[in-house]
Amino acid sequence: MDPLLLAAIVAIATILVLFSGVSVALGLLIVSAGFLIVFDGMRSLELLPEIFFGKLDNFALLSIPMFIIMGAAIASTRAGADLYEALERWLTRVPGGLVISNLGACALFAAMSGSSPATCAAIGKMGIPEMRKRGFPDGVAAGSIAAGGTLGILIPPSVTMIVYGIATETSIGRLFLAGLMPGLMLVGLFMAWSIWSTWKTGDATALSAGRYSWRERLEILPRVLPFLAIIAGVLYAMYGGIATPSETAAVGAILCLVIAIVIYSMWSPRAIWSVLRDSTKESVMILFIIGAAGVFSYMLSSLYITQSIAEWIAQLDVNRWVLMGVINVFLLVAGFFLPPVAVILMAAPILMPIIETAGFDAVWFAVVLTINMEIGLISPPVGLNLYVINGIAPDIKLKTILMGSLPYVGCMVAGIVLLCLFPGIATWLPDLVMGDMP
Amino acid sequence: AGATELRLSHQWSDKDVRHQVAQIVADEVAAADVDLQIKIFPSESLFKAREQYKPLSRGQLDMTVLPLSYAGGQQPAYNLTLMPGLVKNHDHAARLTSSPFMEALDKYMAQDDVMALVHGYLAGGFVGTEGCITAPDDVQGLQTRAAGKAFEQMLAGAGASIASMASSEIYNAMQTGVLDAANTSSSSFVSYRIYEQAACYTPPGDYALWFMYQPLLVNRSTFEGLDEAQQQALLDASAKAQAFYLEEAKKEDAESRRVFEEQGVEIRDMTAEEFEAWRKIAEATSYKAFVEDMDDDGQSLLDMALAVE
Amino acid sequence: MATHSLAAAARTGDNAFLRAIAALSTLAGWCSAAMVVAAVVITCQMIFVRFVLNGSTVWQTEAVIYLVIGSTLIGLPYVQRLRGHVNVDLIPLSLRFGPRRVLCIATLGLSIAIVAVMFWHGVEYWHIAWDRGWRSESVWGVKLWIPYLAIPLGFGLLLLQLVADMVALLTGVDRPFNLESD
Ligand code: NA
Ligand code: NA
Repeated sequence: MDPLLLAAIVAIATILVLFSGVSVALGLLIVSAGFLIVFDGMRSLELLPEIFFGKLDNFALLSIPMFIIMGAAIASTRAGADLYEALERWLTRVPGGLVISNLGACALFAAMSGSSPATCAAIGKMGIPEMRKRGFPDGVAAGSIAAGGTLGILIPPSVTMIVYGIATETSIGRLFLAGLMPGLMLVGLFMAWSIWSTWKTGDATALSAGRYSWRERLEILPRVLPFLAIIAGVLYAMYGGIATPSETAAVGAILCLVIAIVIYSMWSPRAIWSVLRDSTKESVMILFIIGAAGVFSYMLSSLYITQSIAEWIAQLDVNRWVLMGVINVFLLVAGFFLPPVAVILMAAPILMPIIETAGFDAVWFAVVLTINMEIGLISPPVGLNLYVINGIAPDIKLKTILMGSLPYVGCMVAGIVLLCLFPGIATWLPDLVMGDMP
Repeated sequence: AGATELRLSHQWSDKDVRHQVAQIVADEVAAADVDLQIKIFPSESLFKAREQYKPLSRGQLDMTVLPLSYAGGQQPAYNLTLMPGLVKNHDHAARLTSSPFMEALDKYMAQDDVMALVHGYLAGGFVGTEGCITAPDDVQGLQTRAAGKAFEQMLAGAGASIASMASSEIYNAMQTGVLDAANTSSSSFVSYRIYEQAACYTPPGDYALWFMYQPLLVNRSTFEGLDEAQQQALLDASAKAQAFYLEEAKKEDAESRRVFEEQGVEIRDMTAEEFEAWRKIAEATSYKAFVEDMDDDGQSLLDMALAVE
Repeated sequence: MATHSLAAAARTGDNAFLRAIAALSTLAGWCSAAMVVAAVVITCQMIFVRFVLNGSTVWQTEAVIYLVIGSTLIGLPYVQRLRGHVNVDLIPLSLRFGPRRVLCIATLGLSIAIVAVMFWHGVEYWHIAWDRGWRSESVWGVKLWIPYLAIPLGFGLLLLQLVADMVALLTGVDRPFNLESD
């Protein structure tokens, strides 16, 4: 059979199976097994467990559960509220101050958590009720948190960057650095839009009514110190010669657990278990998808589909920016339906040779891909952040959340365009800190 | 009737010498016109580097090019194919591959339904971030990354601290100071641009410790299932590839020396005395551990390898 | 999608079998969490030995890898019980209750089949490693049947949880795809 026809059949089968309500990981295993039986014979099933195990047999993956524990530990304490309140006291006089505080808190929290749902949950628990209480529309309250939460995977540390680094053999330390400036750029864009829209609707004065004295502003600052300590500790361990990026995750997890227990007195076994339960749930889900996506990519390669698609695109000979546009649309659409990790693992083997042939930088592309995945996190049908918002505020309608986050999606698209115009936004910092690409 | 298609998997890029070896075999077999095709899956696109031997021995994969010591956990005898000081230089390595030692190794491969088509060794050396690593005293107290179990044992015996990591992590680890010294193949030193982080390089020269046996393997039953013309074509192609492999292996060492020199890295060769000092330590550590690891034939196998002049 | 909630765990009603499986899955969840904690502690110990004591770290890397894989596999049934494995329920949402239930039975059936395959060949793979005495190729040389045991164990427990889900669905204890009926 023509490999491209086969590729189309596999794509349709995969979409049908994944949309049928089966969990993503099991769906990928089912599709892989089906095609392997037909084209490689029954015996190829023998290999599945060892391929699955082999894909997880990677030291760098250890950082996924650990960066998730970091976020979960801090999210379960008062820390999120402290951070949030500090920002609010300082930003209250800016138009839309509360939204700005929320976005700032999301960005800071993202620097401690590798996962977007965790970021969303940590800040949302405090931020959404508070914004609604002060009269912000539901859409703005939920939308800004949903969008701000997505920064969790762009601002380092980032679970998706780790997975990308493993899949493409790119330095994880370099990828982390590359995400920082684009992350700050997105925060800036998010904030700019919020300020402008609150000002335009005339809510500006009404919604920035709270006033705090300088004393109140200063006395909250010490409560932000644990955050800064964690961020500084992790950065020092990672770039100061103590540990490799993967190992640093363990330092971060320990730091966060210790701070949660000692400073925020999270002593009870029940509280500690709730942290471990939440992080187990998220990391097992992600790692299961990683193993299953590994089996899926084995099937694609074994049937020569990956290679044929890559060859086909390579010989299309289109302008490289047209190519980048098509790739972005593909990633966006894939991100609507699949969690980021699954998209990266399924797309990386096919896209990487194309990206390199077209002369794009693998580190820069990681950032573009991650922003695409961020959009996917707040779009149905699989938008992990939407689930989280739904858990925090079940009475806000999905449509309201979506309309509220739509402007932020616009900001992300603008961010991608800016990155294409000025690739240095992503590559300048890693080149500065780590020297030119080895 | 469709031609027989064999699948060959390996971990290297299509510029690597080991890919070229596989490509020569594939091209020659195709040119022989015996209804036999070899489809190459490079860059771990089918199986991960260390996950190839198991499917090969179960007949799920037909061919591979891999360091045989990767399968040392399944056949402890293979650990002899990455043993410090056992091979002196490339010509010695070539004599080793046609010795009784290799015949003995063949028997172990046969147990796993595997056989070697193309023999070949690649060499490697040491780098240090502060100074040169030529004598055992040089690694005292240094955080060192070694390629292979036997080298970890020997270096630990010389007083080094062992940090295990993938060769792709060496660059970052040396840059941030996690690592002070590293040992790997000369081609990896060049492809990972380690010269940017190294102060001194000890390339494989007249005396080198690190030689790794990296043959092209085929599943034995698959090979025996081919018709006579196909088998002959495969053997002829392999002989041609093997000659190329030996020449390229020598060139790679020279190339790594040239690149490091050009980048301003100090080059210092290992002397005969230093080589002997390392070997003494290896005898007390890695050789000893190897013999203990093997159930009974360890010593005789080691003696066979040492007997090759 | 709008009805999707992360908080919805599998329902057991007062069915003894469902409760027993739920308890087993929860126990597996505890083990999974404990393994990750162990991995965190060992990684920190490794950094301490290397950075503070300047000593050798030989076994830690492999131990941590195998603990994280073990945690993933052993945690599968627990996360299934918590409905934590993400899914895309576009087609189910567009169906009425009857066809939706049929689709759910079909997808659960397929899931059970694939997990049974993973379990069965996992047992086989584990047995080869045991039988031939495979070891990891590091100096530590851990016997590979120990980490490989997580494959049949994890998929076996997941199989039980999926069968329990099927029973809950067929007996009407739980709803298809965890969706509110229309
Ligand atoms: Na982050
Ligand atoms: Na989505």
